[in-house]
Amino acid sequence: MLEVKVWRGKADGGFQRFEVPRHPSQTVLDVVTHIQRHLDPTLAYRFACRVGMCGSCAMMVNGVPRWTCRTHIDSVSKNNELTVGPLRNLPVIRDLVTDMREFFDKWARAKGEFRGRQTKEDDFAKVPPQSPPRQQVDAGIECIGCGVCYAACDVVKWNPDYLGPAALNRAWTLINDVRGKDNLERLRAVSGDAGCHACHSHVSCTERCPKHLSPTAAIAGLKRAVTKAVLEGDL
Amino acid sequence: MQAGLWIVQRASAAVLAVCVVVHLVTIIYAVQGGLTTAEILERTRGNVAWFAFYSVFVLAVTLHVPIGLRSVCSEWLRWRGRSRDFALLLFAAFLGWAGMRAVVGVFA
Repeated sequence: MLEVKVWRGKADGGFQRFEVPRHPSQTVLDVVTHIQRHLDPTLAYRFACRVGMCGSCAMMVNGVPRWTCRTHIDSVSKNNELTVGPLRNLPVIRDLVTDMREFFDKWARAKGEFRGRQTKEDDFAKVPPQSPPRQQVDAGIECIGCGVCYAACDVVKWNPDYLGPAALNRAWTLINDVRGKDNLERLRAVSGDAGCHACHSHVSCTERCPKHLSPTAAIAGLKRAVTKAVLEGDL
Repeated sequence: MQAGLWIVQRASAAVLAVCVVVHLVTIIYAVQGGLTTAEILERTRGNVAWFAFYSVFVLAVTLHVPIGLRSVCSEWLRWRGRSRDFALLLFAAFLGWAGMRAVVGVFA
């Protein structure tokens, strides 16, 4: 049997203990699902795809943010004990469900939407796959917005205004998109105390990203781009 | 403004990296066998090159430390806004004054 401590309630809640049968190749999401279906149907949690594509099942597992669907009990449980909580740095709605609004609002604040320079009259843009900007885009474009990096980030904890690794990573992919525009506006949005300059390069985001992306490298790229713009008098 | 502060802090860090190494190596080299205060002052007073070197050192510290403390104040003490920046300006002035006082005392 697995001794599981699961967060219940809101931010001022506490952990509740459950005993869950062990199975081969059991994931943390399997454990949470077992609790909800067989032990306590009032347990609130999120999941959708169960195969590491949607990013909605991210939770704190033994204090570390992870995709629960892709985390085997064997790899995280010592002495058949497990602690599962809601993602850090986000308001808790109930139990294992967090309010992701601020996380996604920060993508908007980082000018995370694509704005193209071309019109429908123009031909398709040709972007050579080996060109340096495209390579930079490739390095960060697979982010699915699961919030793991945001929960892993100490700077978000200390500075709630900080845009966070995912939003800054998104901004960096757009800055390197040769079809886009408004990059100066974007650089202005991502610089300063709430932006890339607040990052201390702890590398927790890169360490925890389930997609093995490096928001730290993206943030370093933003710092370089902002510096260049400042020195050239554009910002 | 924050981008400018960040650039100044990085640039001053690069200067400090050189200054600290030169400072430590000089101390270790010079103190071998022991030195008295009088012997130190005999070597340092009137030395324009060292005066200039330590003036740059003090300037780099005066710029670097308050900018770093700015983040410490906001992240650990939740102290933000103009009162924080004003206090750090005063602290920068103190660092510059104390540092240059020492430089003048030893090298002028």
